[in-house]
Amino acid sequence: MTSLGVGHGAQLEANPYGIQSKKLGMWLFIIADASTFGAILFAYGYLRIANPNWTRPFVFWPTIANGIVMTAVLLTSSLTMVCAVLAAQAGRRAASLRWLTATMVLGIVFAALHLREWFAMIGEGWRLFQNPLGGPVQFGATFFGITGLHLLHVITGIVAIGVIALGFRGGRFDAGHVETAGLYWHFVDLVWMFVFPLVYLMNVR
Amino acid sequence: MKTNREPVITGTASAHRPGLRVYLVVWIGLLLIVGAEVALTYARFSVGVQLAGLLALACVEATIALLYFMHLRYERPSLFWSLIPALVVVLILMNHFLPDAVRLLHQRVPGGGP
Repeated sequence: MTSLGVGHGAQLEANPYGIQSKKLGMWLFIIADASTFGAILFAYGYLRIANPNWTRPFVFWPTIANGIVMTAVLLTSSLTMVCAVLAAQAGRRAASLRWLTATMVLGIVFAALHLREWFAMIGEGWRLFQNPLGGPVQFGATFFGITGLHLLHVITGIVAIGVIALGFRGGRFDAGHVETAGLYWHFVDLVWMFVFPLVYLMNVR
Repeated sequence: MKTNREPVITGTASAHRPGLRVYLVVWIGLLLIVGAEVALTYARFSVGVQLAGLLALACVEATIALLYFMHLRYERPSLFWSLIPALVVVLILMNHFLPDAVRLLHQRVPGGGP
């Protein structure tokens, strides 16, 4: 069999999932990344339950209230991302770009609220291996580790959406690219659905 | 960078794509679940009950997001069956082996070397 024949065969083979290869690639990445977050959340969960004197530093104001606002902002950004995908698939390029911009702005608001909270905690003496309240030092490591990894995903998502928006405006990218970026953004939202209750609400004083 | 080599596939089957109204209902539902999580937290149950309740609500929330925002409900079933059961098995195995690893740490002989 010649290499030419192999190439043609590969191109003509039907996709069993009925989706574009980039979208399938994103799904595979999401599954792998979900395993990563699953591992660190399991590790945190066992640490949290195994320590009866685990530190519970959070009060409703400002931390939990801030977390509720952050959650609402992220959920709303998923809605604007869906609107961007719908508009892109309908061929309404300008509307899609507006929704993509709104998604990025909401992502930036989320990151800003998160960083403000981090700096406030650092100002109170929290560090990766330092607990100003005298409890287990693992609290800082788990809190900053888990929320930091999520924040890294948010920032990556904002940059990715920006790149996709620029390419989509210039005609280099199509609605499939917008949908694939949307998949990633919804996954970031989905991870937060576990981080907020497990890392914040489980540590309310 | 136009994807000329891609077969004629349009991502999700657009014929089955829901309208904005469905997404709005989903968004409101997700916000209500977040409210339920906060209410559960301040109901002051034991740590075990609180953890189980919060995890259950988070799983419901994630399932809704997967099905609607990520369109898994509107994809071919083959995509779901190829991805999600494998992930669930991985998470169950993590849940099974992680506490076992912690148990092994406590079985070390003191001063018995690294």
